[in-house]
Amino acid sequence: MTTPAAALAVSAASSKVNSFVLRAGERGHDIIRSDGSRASYVAGHPDGFITRESSFNFHDYQSGRPGFGPVRVFGDETFHGAGCGYNMHPHHNFVICAFVLEGELTHINTAGAGMVDQLRQGDYYVFSAGSGGKHSELSISQEDMNAIYLWILPGQLYLPPSYHRAHFDFRKRRDRIEQLVGDADGALPMPQDLRVSRLVTDGGKKFTYTPRTTSHGTYIFVISGAVKINDTLLERRDSMAVWGVDKVDLFTEAYATDLLIVEAAMIDDAHIKEWEKEQGAHHR
Amino acid sequence: MTEEPLKRWLCLGCGFSYDEALGLPEHGLAAGTRWKDVPEDWVCPDCGTPKYLFEMVEIGYAAGGPDLARAA
Repeated sequence: MTTPAAALAVSAASSKVNSFVLRAGERGHDIIRSDGSRASYVAGHPDGFITRESSFNFHDYQSGRPGFGPVRVFGDETFHGAGCGYNMHPHHNFVICAFVLEGELTHINTAGAGMVDQLRQGDYYVFSAGSGGKHSELSISQEDMNAIYLWILPGQLYLPPSYHRAHFDFRKRRDRIEQLVGDADGALPMPQDLRVSRLVTDGGKKFTYTPRTTSHGTYIFVISGAVKINDTLLERRDSMAVWGVDKVDLFTEAYATDLLIVEAAMIDDAHIKEWEKEQGAHHR
Repeated sequence: MTEEPLKRWLCLGCGFSYDEALGLPEHGLAAGTRWKDVPEDWVCPDCGTPKYLFEMVEIGYAAGGPDLARAA
């Protein structure tokens, strides 16, 4: 779904303003059972399952927007049941980020020096698989675990693997757009021209997100609450992207609004443009 | 005759790469094998993702990357 550029009340330094809105219910929906090859002594339980709502690349990558800049996966995943998760499996190159919203996530990886980590509400990691390793994602306790997962193409292939983690304390870092991943002071490093920020605030306020350049796109995902952007109201788990603009005004509409904001260079997206062209052809 | 530059492809399931310049000799694909000549029923050796779910990428290697890719 694309909002006509003419309807956008945005500050456009570039002549080409692009945007799309993705409602919560329009995302790809998958249920992944934690048995069979996904089960082992470390992960898996016959009654465990993961629900995954994917903004991009969903339905076996066959439908839906293929990505956003170098982002290929934006998954809103809930692990249901003790012992539920993904068994050890290999990765190369992708930079995988997890932002834990609820429950407890156990992350194990064998890339580089290896890592076993436990993350709770507000914790987040950036795992650059680089030259390769295996990882497992698990929820050990009975409580459901909800996290946002991003998969990002790296700036270079076969980098040395790395793992960094931090905590976002929404009580201390309220009412401001806080960069969690990127090049800001204290942000976790990202081997790509990409930033992830979070805004936790109340209703009736205005914030402005300023991307580095007009060729950087901004993708806004509503974790909870509501926000109005260019007269489009976004509610829980809705999202919107805008690019070709020098700023994005965010008007918060609900108490306890919590947003995740991804800024990415809109380069090397021939694959995405091809998809847009096909979609355009279908809508004619 | 102009030669098409050799390309790189990335598995969207796990990030495994196929580099036409390197091929995958261990899997019977000699260095220089073009993507179009990789059998259609070929799957990612790491995660089983089918060939059509690979994406062509224009991403350079980190230092030592080609050697790491050969050993991947």
